[in-house]
Amino acid sequence: MDHTSPFEKILRGALITVVLVFFLFPIFWIFLMSLQTNETILRIPPSIIFEPGFDNYRALITGKLQTTAGNLDIAFMRNLWNSVLLSTFSVALSLLLGVPAAYAFARFKFRLGEDIAFTLLSFRFAPPLLVLLPLSLYFKTLGLTNTYIGLIWVYQLICLPLILWIVRGYFEDISPDIEHAYRIAGNSWWKTFTKVAIPLARPGIAAAGLLAFIFAWNNFVFALILASADKQPVTVGALAFVTASGIQYGQIAAAIVLSVTPTLALALYAQRYLVEGLSMGAVKG
Amino acid sequence: MGELVISKVDKIYRPRRKTPVHAVQALSLTVKPGEITALLGSSGCGKTSTLRMIAGFEEVSHGTISLDGRDIHMLPPSARGVAMAFEAYSLYPPLTIAENMAFALKAARLSAAESDAKVKAMAEMLEISDILNKYPTSVSGGQQQRTSLGRALVRKAGLYLLDEPMGQLEPQLRAILRGRLKHYLREHKCTTILVTHDQTEANALADRIAVMENGALQQYATPAELKLRPANLFTGTFIGEPPMNVFNAGVKVGAKTVDFAMDGGVSLSFPANGLSAPVRSLLSSQQRVIIGIRPHALHVGKGPIRGKVVSCQWLGDQTHVAVEVAGRTVVSVAHERVSQKPGSDIELNVASGDLHLFDAASGNAIAHGSETA
Amino acid sequence: MTQLELKSLAKSFGAYKVFDGLNLAAEPGEIVVIFGGSGTGKTILLRLIAGVEEPTSGIIEIEGNDVADIAPEHRNIGMAFQNFALFPHMSAFENIAAPLRAQNAGAGAVKAGVDKVARLLKIDHVLGHAPRELSNGQKQRTALARALAAEPRILLLDDPLRNVDAKLRFEMRLELPRLLRQTGATVLYVTQDYKEAMALADRIAVIANGKFIQTATPEDIYLKPATLGVARLFGDPSINTADTKVEMSGKMINVTLGGVKVPVHGAYSPFNGRAVTFGVRPEAVEIIAPEGAALVAKVMAVTPLNERTVLLLHSEGGWEFLASLPSSAASIPEPGAKVGAAFAANGTHLFDKTTAERLHG
Repeated sequence: MDHTSPFEKILRGALITVVLVFFLFPIFWIFLMSLQTNETILRIPPSIIFEPGFDNYRALITGKLQTTAGNLDIAFMRNLWNSVLLSTFSVALSLLLGVPAAYAFARFKFRLGEDIAFTLLSFRFAPPLLVLLPLSLYFKTLGLTNTYIGLIWVYQLICLPLILWIVRGYFEDISPDIEHAYRIAGNSWWKTFTKVAIPLARPGIAAAGLLAFIFAWNNFVFALILASADKQPVTVGALAFVTASGIQYGQIAAAIVLSVTPTLALALYAQRYLVEGLSMGAVKG
Repeated sequence: MGELVISKVDKIYRPRRKTPVHAVQALSLTVKPGEITALLGSSGCGKTSTLRMIAGFEEVSHGTISLDGRDIHMLPPSARGVAMAFEAYSLYPPLTIAENMAFALKAARLSAAESDAKVKAMAEMLEISDILNKYPTSVSGGQQQRTSLGRALVRKAGLYLLDEPMGQLEPQLRAILRGRLKHYLREHKCTTILVTHDQTEANALADRIAVMENGALQQYATPAELKLRPANLFTGTFIGEPPMNVFNAGVKVGAKTVDFAMDGGVSLSFPANGLSAPVRSLLSSQQRVIIGIRPHALHVGKGPIRGKVVSCQWLGDQTHVAVEVAGRTVVSVAHERVSQKPGSDIELNVASGDLHLFDAASGNAIAHGSETA
Repeated sequence: MTQLELKSLAKSFGAYKVFDGLNLAAEPGEIVVIFGGSGTGKTILLRLIAGVEEPTSGIIEIEGNDVADIAPEHRNIGMAFQNFALFPHMSAFENIAAPLRAQNAGAGAVKAGVDKVARLLKIDHVLGHAPRELSNGQKQRTALARALAAEPRILLLDDPLRNVDAKLRFEMRLELPRLLRQTGATVLYVTQDYKEAMALADRIAVIANGKFIQTATPEDIYLKPATLGVARLFGDPSINTADTKVEMSGKMINVTLGGVKVPVHGAYSPFNGRAVTFGVRPEAVEIIAPEGAALVAKVMAVTPLNERTVLLLHSEGGWEFLASLPSSAASIPEPGAKVGAAFAANGTHLFDKTTAERLHG
């Protein structure tokens, strides 16, 4: 029974607006900053009216920055490419390993199963700084410092637990009877896994993959310590904007906008896979 | 006990949208004080919406509901003097079974001893005495349902609303609990409305049954009346298990005989005086008619209806013989043990007084045996 | 040759024993109904036979061969589940086609096979729909069609009519026996509905407390129940019971019901003095005039039950029991009336009080 009065409706709308503005304003402001020069940004009082210019973006893309102290080379585009490469391959590897593992944990009860699963989850608990020093020593010994492979391997600490725990839940939600029916119909367990389990868990796999991508993309410390300039992602690369001649706010803003774009695009693309209810109607109760 | 009057009640969901749902249409019925009424129909027929409007969980779109002369449709549920047993039980998890049932009595301000005694007596009637100290999550669905029912009944109220009160019950307990419940409601003169999709339950418990379909009341009558004189084809086929056998037939009223020509070349002939004059005159204005024959009225033995036995199922206290006749399957029920081999030929007969005749276009009843509808 | 045989089959989950020592031999083409309440292990039994779960001990033989090492996909079994278990991401056609595709049948053979079984089950017009677009009745038929599609030798049907509305359930109960016989498969059919069991079965195996209590024809189960438990499970209303003792006076055998001595007909003289549970089926209770009747009772409530009418009766000694009369009976007493009751021999049983086994001469 809907008893809300017009007054309550207006109040509700106003509160929602306030909350939205609170969260979206910084992003909006950064977008504005990316179109302004440093002088306009630092002007007091700050103003929304200005002449937009794409100089910041041009500087990032061409890799040349003009400051009052002279010209600088910016490797931002390289950093962006590193981010894309590292995140994509890390997520791909963790999906390849994690989805079958999640299935095993969901469907088969084996000794120490829960313990192993929890151990894998515990990787998320520990602050990365804790393991960095020993890790960097190991990397040096193994010759993995400043390699893509080394970083992708380390990134599994971030991605794999996520895939495992989220996708496991989705596999557990599939009624075992559906898989039994497919097997009894004459199909091997591998075919059941690929033709029934994975399609039905697709929303979960998409969600987990997206989340893993975002966490991998946003990672800072691993790449900072275990890689050098040419392999570093945008998170580390942003440090370069703190120059001797001052902080280049405009370029940072443009860099932020460019960094957010791939993840945003991926999220929008994956959204249609995040539709729940794929299983609806096939199983009663 | 109180008299409940539902007058021209409508329930329309989403009235301002493009496709409003007219769940209940102009429903009018009066439940006499102390009477047990069942709202019966398949899912989506409007029975649950009606119950919720009486309880106060839904607003009435049009019309009025009054209890004992007092309008209650504008009052919040707590002010209506109504006790309800919910389909989803809705028991309080942190309270024991006994405490759940006693909770309803708190408002009545009874002494602890009195409250205890009432709860114990109700538990005994519903066979849940052995779980009184357990918690809802540790007992079965059937036991939870009985607790919910007991909680509603133990209160004193002007009206009792029971939503599918026995659906989860173990089959072995149903018959005896139905008997006890009916006796209890009668003894305490409780005006009761129960909602169910199970016509067996409605028939067992109710004094009168309101059959609903698509939001409209089809017929409101005693179980016997519904069985012997259904108002239309829907009611006729809804009530009864096995359901009424239905035939489409051409009808010809002659001087000496009345002939029904069914599909597949099967024809039924009755001497003209087997059907009364008013019935015959109604039939002579029809070309086609729908014939309904209840399973127990269809007898195995020499007769005009010839077919092949599909199955012969003995169920302990009755036998169901399914026969393929005129391209469809009909069922005959015998109360003794009958043995027929599937695939063999068989003949069935029926007395003219057991025929239910419905209009071929509208489905409304024309005549039942010798009485016009 | 026996089509399906279970030898001392047992299954436990850790310390929890589901069943043990199950023995059953089903002939080719036979319909065996596994009947029991919820939680008795019927579904688990079917899963063991299908091969998706392993027994703790015991042997399952199909056509004389131990199937312990044969994976589910090679056992040539069709199974229909209680909750349908249709593949939600495939159309009804693809669901039914799955067993045929798994056999690598050509596209033509697949279509022919699916169409044949769909026509049999009257769902040929909804084959293109996804499971969520089908009604419960159509889903149930699709699940059955999928089980039948590859013409398996053994059919496992797990309570297929449970989640289907009453009208459709009744229709299917009439149709299923003919349908199942047409396939020629050996059928194991699980249900909790005794009417379904009696209607469909060649034999019924009643499972309770981890064992098959009785495996017999429906007729024997109903007329000669092995235990009180079996007698209770079959019949609606359920059998009336009273704890009492067999007492002989002269040639008459009596039991005491609610403090009143009532004669019992049957060869019970060897059991004089035995503590028993007396049982009489409601349909075996005859309502007679109260004058001179051995047992007099008051009618407390009259409840119609489809083709029969049930009376709730309290005897003068306080024994509560039910009588079931045909609704078309000449006269049905009103609530409050005083009547006499007599018990027909073929619906009356005595069960040993301790073992619950039926006593018979």
